[in-house]
Amino acid sequence: MSSVGRVINVLAALLVSAAVLALFAVGYGPVPALGRALVPGHGAWASAPGGQPIHSQTLSLPGLAHPVSVAFTSHGVASVRAADEADAYLALGYLHARFRLTEMDLERRLGEGRIAQLAGPAGLSSDRFELRLGLLRTAQAEWAATPRTSPAAQVLIAYSRGVNDYLAQARRTGQWPSLFGLTGVYPTPWTPTDSLVLQGVLTQELDYTTTPLDYAILARTLGPHHTMAWFPLLAPGRGTPYDPGPYKYHGLAPIAPQSTTAFTRAAGRAASPPPTSQAQASGGGAAAERPAGGEPAAMAAGLVPGPAAKGPVPGPAARVASLSDPSSSRASGTTAATTADDRQRAEAPVSGPGSSSNPITAHVATAAAAMLAQANALPAGLIHEYPDSNAWAANGPKVSGAKSMLAGDPHLPQTVPSIWYQVALSAPGLSVTGVSVPGLPGVLIGHNAHIAWSLTDTQNQATLFYTERTSKTRPGQYFWRGAWRRMRQVHYTIPVRGGPAVHLTVNITVHGPVMTQAGQTTSVDWMGNIPSPDISVIIGVTHARDFAQFHAALADWRAPSQNFVYADDRGNIGAISAGYYPLVRHGDPWLPMPGTGADDVAGVIPYASVPQVYDPPGHVVATANQRPVGPSYPYYIGTSANFFDPGYRAGEIYASLRGQRGMHPASFAAIQLSLTDRLAQQIVPRLLAALRGAHLSAQQQEAAALLHGWDATMAQHSAAAPLWWTFWGDYLDAVFRPWWKAAKVPVHKDPPGLAISPQNQFSLDQVLASWTTGDPANSAFSPPGGPHRTAPEVMRAAFATAVAHLAATLHGAPSSWAWGRIHSRQFPSVTQADALGYGPRASGADSWTVNAADGGLVSHQGPSWRMIVAWAGHGTATGESVYPGGQSENPASPWYEDQMADWWDGRYLALPPAGGYPAGQVRWSLRP
Amino acid sequence: MADLRRLGKRGSYRLGRLGGPRPAPSAPPAPHYPSFAPHHRGPIGLWLLACLAGVVIVAAGALAGWWFLPFLAGLAGGLIAHYGRWRLRVSLPAVMLIAAAGWGGALWSLVRGGLPEGAVAREIAALAGLPASSAVAIAVTLLVAVIQAAVGLWLGRALAPGYGLR
Repeated sequence: MSSVGRVINVLAALLVSAAVLALFAVGYGPVPALGRALVPGHGAWASAPGGQPIHSQTLSLPGLAHPVSVAFTSHGVASVRAADEADAYLALGYLHARFRLTEMDLERRLGEGRIAQLAGPAGLSSDRFELRLGLLRTAQAEWAATPRTSPAAQVLIAYSRGVNDYLAQARRTGQWPSLFGLTGVYPTPWTPTDSLVLQGVLTQELDYTTTPLDYAILARTLGPHHTMAWFPLLAPGRGTPYDPGPYKYHGLAPIAPQSTTAFTRAAGRAASPPPTSQAQASGGGAAAERPAGGEPAAMAAGLVPGPAAKGPVPGPAARVASLSDPSSSRASGTTAATTADDRQRAEAPVSGPGSSSNPITAHVATAAAAMLAQANALPAGLIHEYPDSNAWAANGPKVSGAKSMLAGDPHLPQTVPSIWYQVALSAPGLSVTGVSVPGLPGVLIGHNAHIAWSLTDTQNQATLFYTERTSKTRPGQYFWRGAWRRMRQVHYTIPVRGGPAVHLTVNITVHGPVMTQAGQTTSVDWMGNIPSPDISVIIGVTHARDFAQFHAALADWRAPSQNFVYADDRGNIGAISAGYYPLVRHGDPWLPMPGTGADDVAGVIPYASVPQVYDPPGHVVATANQRPVGPSYPYYIGTSANFFDPGYRAGEIYASLRGQRGMHPASFAAIQLSLTDRLAQQIVPRLLAALRGAHLSAQQQEAAALLHGWDATMAQHSAAAPLWWTFWGDYLDAVFRPWWKAAKVPVHKDPPGLAISPQNQFSLDQVLASWTTGDPANSAFSPPGGPHRTAPEVMRAAFATAVAHLAATLHGAPSSWAWGRIHSRQFPSVTQADALGYGPRASGADSWTVNAADGGLVSHQGPSWRMIVAWAGHGTATGESVYPGGQSENPASPWYEDQMADWWDGRYLALPPAGGYPAGQVRWSLRP
Repeated sequence: MADLRRLGKRGSYRLGRLGGPRPAPSAPPAPHYPSFAPHHRGPIGLWLLACLAGVVIVAAGALAGWWFLPFLAGLAGGLIAHYGRWRLRVSLPAVMLIAAAGWGGALWSLVRGGLPEGAVAREIAALAGLPASSAVAIAVTLLVAVIQAAVGLWLGRALAPGYGLR
């Protein structure tokens, strides 16, 4: 080789060596630092010790005041015994981090808009959304407003210290979970604000809805007439309210004020400036401007009552009766005659029913579509889509061998690891057992020495959208209460893995953050943006000894609104739907409303008037996300469209409870595991009646025979179950698709909210069931411009279509079909890595069964925790529970999914007593 | 001398050859005798021992977190190959083997220590978006070591050019 060639060779070798070493040392773009990440024993491989079965040992935890012992059951359920509460919560923080650090950090990143730092540009849409929405701003405001000497602050500080003790240990040993070792992006120290952000994420999952945006698009396309007829305020039927009344109207309660300094400090911005100019219209002005604390949305309602803050807010019945669109009244059970027709929708702007001041213009629809696109780009489960959970209690003659019993099974997105971490805590004054949420201190569902409680989502409308009036000549301003106001701006820099950081500016109006400026500047007033002292409330509930204390503790709960079901050792039962129910004086809150001031949130339902019962005469109380009150309830709490469960689960629970006396825990377990589809019970006889005498093929006859002998059980091996499901979907499709098609409903803009599919559009399910049983000649059965049809005719056609569908899918004779052949459950991993999840696995159940499976044919939401508590006497409870998954997030751990089989097969494990077990197979001694 | 039968035909004449002096007869090429006699310096046993030491060092370094040791092993291999007159066809597989065996041995020692490396390997593959198999993650891990060693060898041989490319 010549000398020149030799030099070139050396240079090339040096260059390539440097490039390879640099790539392996620091990574490039989305490629991680492979050398650091994959060196055996370190990087991603370092998680192996965390997957080993744990053993008894002594650990040093700085921050502890006294020694703490932790005993583990064979399933890894920890019993923490501490000398004071702060130590107990510090130990809980350590346990959460030890077993769920990846889950905690991912949730924190999600809420704080830092997913892109880990996942690269793919995470940007989520980060932008969350930073706009403002979970971080709200958490910062809440923490700033929390007195440091308060119990909640003490608990949050102790908990954070426990998490950080584990982070320090991981930093010292390098034994991080694989995700961090692989990416090289490690968790930052935990702060109380992080816990409050996680509280916000949970609130968002349970409370943030986009239904008003879907209403806007439907009103724009279907027209207000059909929109409110098919998505009415009150669903047809009597419903199954757990609080049947009588109700009292107590006026409006102000929204609690909060710190005005936290947000300003966090954002580094001054408070909203005064109006930049006064418009000729009166009614506003600088004095009415909202403060800058927390999220401004809805806050001023408490501080600055709106101009019409007197007089009753009409309840649903009154509002429906006042609607200009009589069809909605009909669907809601009122008696007005139909006068509107579809020509209305050809006119622009389209007015929403009941308010001529609420135009759904093309711009509003464009903005709605833009916001729906944002929402659909989010990870699954972040927008509240499905009703969640069952909880009921019984006492008196309804139970045997116990003074009262309580059952709870919250239905949440089912992931591996689970959202829950089971634990029992014991300290002087503290004795509790149940499930906690990793990242949050406290036991959210469980029991203490005297009371037991479980939660279901209330489902009331907590998200309101406002179309802001803006002007091209006044950039950065909006018109509110007679004056032009300057939007406040918050600037963020989003770190992006493998790319340059992205800057984001969030504009904030008096209603809340501006979510889009496409078409029409639209902001959101979401109750989750109001700091809610949930930690403080949970501490209060944990210490409550009776219903009075339980009731008092829940008074401060704001979001997410929840039905707290209660049973105690004295034999009392009850339920309270705690939380904020926003109310407006004017306008239609189920649609985007004008943001000029008149339609602002004027207050919330006073705590004394929220749905609640105590020791009901029937000795049972049950919530399954159904509308908790009857039609005479004097306040607006939401519409039928995705805000409330149709009540099939609640109906089944009530039917089971009322039909029995002397129930045992096994009786409750049977209800929790029930696969009866109450809608099928209602509709299948009508279908069979429609088929009677009709000309059916041999295959159709065989299929109909299956339905004849069917008990409406959505069992995995049922041959009739897939027939029912498919029929119902085809029936919905046959009735509504012609209307959707004629109106050009842009389903693609939000398939979850606009598509016609079974158990997705709850309103359509309910109105169609109502027409089928009570109004078979409803005009909706006749397609626009098509021949006249009745329910039986459409049912026959849908049945034929369903049989053909199943024959093409499952083949063979109908008797060989099985629900489990087309329906499965899937438990995705929180890391989004498919192989780390569980399933899909053939399964029974559907959305209307008490043992629910939400999400369609591949269900990903259902009972995330099953618990039954029986109070035998004073301070004496026996409990059983199970959840799908396991205590550890480490796939190598024996506790990764060790409870899955028990959950799947309907078995329960013993729930540790309040305060936990004094000893276990494995025991940790935690020393200061 | 010209072939008289080709006179007048295309390609029959070579300018400068007809009248020029005869070229001197060149020596016949040396016959090739295949041989298994070693061309390297030093006893093979010592070299094998050095390789084994390399494996141990790379493995121990891995467990200590020194992920770059396979590169240094390759670099050293390149430099030593110059002294030892090792051809590329020998030195390249050797350093790659040292790197792979070093990291593989480190993983093996962890498994022997009771750590669930198989499950972790599957997790790593799944998180990386690869087929969720333990073998895939282990293969990628060893590949990272092997690439380092190969690049190191190149640099070593470039700095100390030696005994041919074969």
